[in-house]
Amino acid sequence: MSLLRRIQMLFRRSRFDSELEEEMRLHMDLREEEQRAAGVTPEEARRQSRRNFGNPTVLRERSHAAWGWGWLESLVQDIQYALRSMMHAKALTLMALLSLSLGIGANVAIFSFLDALVLRSLPVTRPSELVMLGKGDDAGETDDYGSTTLYSYPFFREFRKSNTVFSDVATVMSFGSEMHGTLDHRDSMQKLTGDTVSSTFFSTLGVDPVMGRFFRDEEDRVEGKFPVVVISYAFWQSEFQGTPDILNHTVKLADTTFNIIGVAPPGFFGIEVGHAPDFWVPMAMMQSLPSHSKGYADGFFQSNYVFGRLKPGVTRAQAEAETNVLYQHIVRSLPNADLSAYNLAHLQNAHVSLTNLSTGRSFLRNTFSDPLKILMGVAALVLLITCANIANLLLARATTRTHEFAVRQAFGAQRLRLIRQLLTESLLLSVAGAGLGVILALAADRVLLRMISGGPDANLLPLDISLNVRLLAFTLFATVGTAVLFGLVPAMRASRVAVNEGLKESRRSNSNARSPLGKGLVIAQIALSLVLSVASVLFLRTLVNLTHVDTGFPRNSVMLVDMDSSVLGMKSEDPRMIAMFQEIERRVGVLPQVKAASFAAFTFAQGSWNGTLNVPGMPFKEKNFVRHNVIGNGYFNVMQIPLLAGRGFGPQDSATSHKVVILSESTARDFFPAGVNPIGRHMYQGKDPKPENDLEVIGIVRDVKFRSLDERKTYIDYYPNPQHPWGYGRLAVRYDGNFATMSTAVQNTIRSVNRNLVIDHVTTLDRVIERTVVNQTLMAQLSTAFGLLAVLLSAIGIYGLMSYLVGQRTGEIGIRMALGASHTGVRWMVMREITMLVISGVAAGIVLTLLSGQLVRNLLYGVAPSEPVSLLVGITLLTVIALAAGYIPARRASRVNPMQALRYE
Amino acid sequence: MKHNEIPPGSLTLLILRTLARHGTLHGYEIAESILQASDNVLEVEEGSLYPALQKMLVNNWVKAEWGVTKGNRRARYYQLTAAGRKQLAAESSNFERVYSAIARVLQTA
Repeated sequence: MSLLRRIQMLFRRSRFDSELEEEMRLHMDLREEEQRAAGVTPEEARRQSRRNFGNPTVLRERSHAAWGWGWLESLVQDIQYALRSMMHAKALTLMALLSLSLGIGANVAIFSFLDALVLRSLPVTRPSELVMLGKGDDAGETDDYGSTTLYSYPFFREFRKSNTVFSDVATVMSFGSEMHGTLDHRDSMQKLTGDTVSSTFFSTLGVDPVMGRFFRDEEDRVEGKFPVVVISYAFWQSEFQGTPDILNHTVKLADTTFNIIGVAPPGFFGIEVGHAPDFWVPMAMMQSLPSHSKGYADGFFQSNYVFGRLKPGVTRAQAEAETNVLYQHIVRSLPNADLSAYNLAHLQNAHVSLTNLSTGRSFLRNTFSDPLKILMGVAALVLLITCANIANLLLARATTRTHEFAVRQAFGAQRLRLIRQLLTESLLLSVAGAGLGVILALAADRVLLRMISGGPDANLLPLDISLNVRLLAFTLFATVGTAVLFGLVPAMRASRVAVNEGLKESRRSNSNARSPLGKGLVIAQIALSLVLSVASVLFLRTLVNLTHVDTGFPRNSVMLVDMDSSVLGMKSEDPRMIAMFQEIERRVGVLPQVKAASFAAFTFAQGSWNGTLNVPGMPFKEKNFVRHNVIGNGYFNVMQIPLLAGRGFGPQDSATSHKVVILSESTARDFFPAGVNPIGRHMYQGKDPKPENDLEVIGIVRDVKFRSLDERKTYIDYYPNPQHPWGYGRLAVRYDGNFATMSTAVQNTIRSVNRNLVIDHVTTLDRVIERTVVNQTLMAQLSTAFGLLAVLLSAIGIYGLMSYLVGQRTGEIGIRMALGASHTGVRWMVMREITMLVISGVAAGIVLTLLSGQLVRNLLYGVAPSEPVSLLVGITLLTVIALAAGYIPARRASRVNPMQALRYE
Repeated sequence: MKHNEIPPGSLTLLILRTLARHGTLHGYEIAESILQASDNVLEVEEGSLYPALQKMLVNNWVKAEWGVTKGNRRARYYQLTAAGRKQLAAESSNFERVYSAIARVLQTA
């Protein structure tokens, strides 16, 4: 009640004043009349009435004070005053605003990614209760008996039924999301992303449909019987324009028409951050999808992530204990369990750890969370440098305002009030800077998302980096933090004025001329800038090293054509399918300007299929995974991978001939005894020496990089497609000439073989390789930008401080020159001071750099964090720029006209 | 000393009491009636009435309305509210207690 009246009063200020005025005047007038009536002279009556009443100004102020708005009024006053004084020093304000908006903008931009990828909880009910079985790592391994990352669907069913620690459990398939399908009866297929999930998927996550319903239990219990999909809100909006009769629409995948039964809530994407499917299909329909996976009832088709919601009061440790007991039991009792001694020994050592799923899992997180954290630290350092810079500028300004503060204190201003006034100025500065910074960050975020997504031609990752409460809170924190950081010390300093001295001395007070605080700030700036410039040199060198890595194949002139052969509805072992791939290879291969063309299961950085090899007579290397690749006969020609021994694949390697394999150099060397020529020898794929796994080694090729540029030694073996049929998705073509024309020619040729094949995307090997170093590129570019910004800010800091110091010493310099000091002498005197600053800063910076080197070690390639060359480059760069920044005021000092300087004094 | 100043803090009590007795008054009337009621012993520094009245307005002890005086001038008239009456009761009894305690001390001394 009282607050309401007080707020009303705030909006009726002028009326309040005039009413009070009128009331008080009436009082005095009536008193005056009364006195006059009592016979006092008019003047005396007037004087009396005024005297009895008291000081109207004070009374008015006390009347105001009664309403308790004093703080607000003085705040408004402070802000008005601050605005005036900011306008007064335009250059300083502009400088400060610019550096602040860059500093805060950088922080907000990086933070928004850190938030989206690492910090933010899933948009589901009580995400903190969700846990995932296993560590949620990206790649499993097919030969592993009893995987603890990926689980089969029968395992999930059994686990869901028998556990007592989860209120519900759900599962989602880890692969096979990319497919092609037709919406309703549209003319052409389109690329779709669909996740295959258990019927409990939505209920476990605790979300409700905005339209229709989610899956029922029976839709997941009978294989192939219920063709239903739930679509995402975004998909509903973009592909169906949000039509209200969405439940009458369908999605046709392979030969099956799926009915849309529901729409997920906006923003819901499941559990994988950075992966936003268009729809979800029940596990029971997996065989009807274009990939035709047959693992629904296979106890060892380990393809799924499993997660659950902990019952209230159950700790993760309790749940983990029960999960492991159940795990051992269920895996052993699955119908097709192979309980050999070897498998049992393996199983006994398997341990399922439960991983917190509150922030979801993310394939991006592994790649980007470390770089983002480092960049966050770098951005924070830049902001610190900015703060030091502005503090220095304010400090210098505060000294020139000594006179003003002395006058104000003489008039009775309290010190606290002056500090508040100055802090208001800082706060205003940082609020304005933050406002600009946020705008900057919004723009920077789009560029960053582009970069993280893999460049201008890549699809943008579905990451929500829009402004949100957490981000704004972070910005507010950064803003107030910086204001206090750069404002408090100068404010304390400025207000600590001995009134007498301040008034007596000339405006250019000498009391702070030595300015140890200002120098300290500049030294700190230089030190931090050195850390950042060395870091940027390290990241740049990492990028350069990576791009010069020997991949084992030439990177240029290879075109990669991505297609979806699953839309044809044929199994990969279908002879027609095998023949079709061969025909495409043949026809594309004879195109003019094409040197060679071949399919491959995996080209560079396209994932992998990992397994083990067993060479008779050698100990089984269960820990040494081999990357299996299935290729066409011309693959080594396309990639120009040299054959070191034996032969390549040819027409003789057919579906019915004896199975053959080609090994990479390292595989041949490490899996066979030294001195033995592997050509013609036999080995087994996987551990079991079963006849169907027997392979004859027919050739050895040079090692190549398989998944990434920075991978260490990789074992690879190659299989011919007829013997290991693969539903290929990518054709590699080595070509000459123009990419666009060649791309058209190749696509036309493919269509001439089979017009139903869907061609997605044509790119080059170069681009694919570039994308694998996206995070190193990101680190190199951003750290360079930040490093340069830091150096620039430090240069401005040095320039500002030295200009100020020189200005302070104009008189002294004038005297020196009058006494015969030379221009060079004076210049050297100033430069000496700057050099001392730079040396101290660099020394401190070297220590800091060496201390912080360990933080970035994992992100570097081919260069150590303490490597002297990078350090030297950083030091040289910084020293040159710092000295250049200092030279300008030094030269100005040497040009001081002694007469003028002395007269001014 | 020109007159007998009123003890600090009791101005509010005096205003409340005056308004309770006379109903609706403007500022000058309040000052006058305090003077008269105390046989000119108590003199308010007249202006300080107004900050005190504002304070009472904030606390909703009095309400104010503009009216016209006998001399046909605009004046703000103050009137007790229910909350004001309650406050008067509380402050009076408090004053009585303190006053009688002081009186007792003075008698025994």
